[in-house]
Amino acid sequence: MREARVVGALGRRALSVQFRRAQLLMPTFVLPLVLLAVIASGTSAGQGLRGFPDVESYLTFVLAGTIVQGTILAGLTAGIAMASDIEFGFFDRLLAAPVRRTSLVLGRLAGTLSLSLLQTSFFLVVASLFGARFPGSVTGVLGAIALAAITAVAMGAVSAAIAIRTGSLSLLQSLFPFMFVMLFTAPAFFPQDLLVPVLRDVSAFNPLTYVVEGVRGLLAGDDAVGAPWAGFVSAVGLALAGIAIATAALGQRLRRL
Amino acid sequence: MNAAVEVHQLVREFKGGIRAVDGLDLEVRDGEIYGFLGPNGAGKTTVVRILTTLLRPTAGHARVAGHDVVGEGDAVRRAIGVALQEAAIDPLMTGRELLRMQGALHGLRGGEARERAAALLERVGLTEAADRRVGGYSGGMRRRLDLALALVHRPHVLFLDEPTTGLDPTSRAALWREVRALHEDGTTVFLTTQYLEEAEQLADRVGIIARGKLVAEGTPESLKARVGEPTVHVEISDPQRGRRACEALAGLGAVERPTERAPTRIGVRTAAGRAAIAPIVRALDEAGVAVEFVEVESPTLDDVFMAVTGSHLEGAATA
Repeated sequence: MREARVVGALGRRALSVQFRRAQLLMPTFVLPLVLLAVIASGTSAGQGLRGFPDVESYLTFVLAGTIVQGTILAGLTAGIAMASDIEFGFFDRLLAAPVRRTSLVLGRLAGTLSLSLLQTSFFLVVASLFGARFPGSVTGVLGAIALAAITAVAMGAVSAAIAIRTGSLSLLQSLFPFMFVMLFTAPAFFPQDLLVPVLRDVSAFNPLTYVVEGVRGLLAGDDAVGAPWAGFVSAVGLALAGIAIATAALGQRLRRL
Repeated sequence: MNAAVEVHQLVREFKGGIRAVDGLDLEVRDGEIYGFLGPNGAGKTTVVRILTTLLRPTAGHARVAGHDVVGEGDAVRRAIGVALQEAAIDPLMTGRELLRMQGALHGLRGGEARERAAALLERVGLTEAADRRVGGYSGGMRRRLDLALALVHRPHVLFLDEPTTGLDPTSRAALWREVRALHEDGTTVFLTTQYLEEAEQLADRVGIIARGKLVAEGTPESLKARVGEPTVHVEISDPQRGRRACEALAGLGAVERPTERAPTRIGVRTAAGRAAIAPIVRALDEAGVAVEFVEVESPTLDDVFMAVTGSHLEGAATA
């Protein structure tokens, strides 16, 4: 119970600071929507290609990519915030408190989880205002929000592990381009079957592929568009692995002190 | 009296074989203010980081509030409050938010954390600024908030690492008042400083560290007494009466006679210090020697530092 309070307090702090720091807010809420606007308006003709899944709206189809992009960015900003805490000494304040070391990681990720819930809901509302429809109904929408939140936790755990391992804010900031590599090696904005063979092969090994398709399937209410269970398996697996890596990195950092 | 901090043969080596702490032994008694005095780079912060479990020793042992800093880190962290050298405070949070978060980290429940935060804000004079972001606080306000954060869980031992560095005299005086109040409440305070005046004003005992070693330890008075007795300087009106004055003062201490450059200045070195002023003035009066003024020059902790290390303490003059 005590550790739950600690995780809650750290999560609240992570979330409130996120909203007070423009350089973290812009990439998590604004950038994905800008990319969505560009892609949805510029490549909508792709929907007419043979082999393109039978979806109700192209906007809903690409929105899954935007949601996953949001999760990566939310995760990355978690790492950036953690590296900033380490670099500027705030992390020492946390280390000097009588709390479980795992709680320090989980607290940060609780903030990421809350951020993702807000972020995905925001994307869905904005997209629906621009005509996106969600045949998957409320259940599908809630499922997509949950899947995105788990994925954000996974991304946050991985970037927190990098932050803990290196303590370098600039390194975390330099990881932004890799976000696009991860995104575009998953069928974020285009069906997997229509990707060039090499990219299609690569995408099969990218865990985000299954998350994107899972979100897509949930919003469409059609497992044929994407299998939600595969998305959840991938996201949960990634999150557990990420948390384990981050916790191990923290243990290693403390042993190195 | 029990020991709040016990350090035995503590060593901390960094990469490249640099020994920041080199076989340190010290003991801080329960309820005292221990001033840990030394120049920049002497090893003060390294010692504090080891004692607060933020750094592991390379060798030796340290116990805080009866707990081993390596083997019982969690128990140590429960017993201590820490305000580190750079007040590491998130500038985007408000003072109240930080205090409530700190309360949660130390196991306080919601209502309890809220009440404690309000009480501490009041105590350090930050109630009005409580809901402002810390980024807009002055250096003094940050330090006071840092102190309040360290006190959230009523720690048994409080570590203050150079708490007044960079503060203006008013802010420094306010912090000193707070430290004295904590002392009166029975909190043990381990205070590192490079300011002589701070150590003299606050500390019950002072440990002087140089190059990672404890080179002297004791009360400020006993340390100063080690390097010499105070000298009472007397300025007489008539240089012709110097000899008579010296004869009159002979029984009161070691007399330093007037020189050609200072023909009216006589010194009397005596352990009595200020207490010797009255007998000296009386003796001169009885001898018919008129006195212009009297001053007492005591050895400083810088003199102690000079005596034990061969160099002056950096920043001693800026206190």
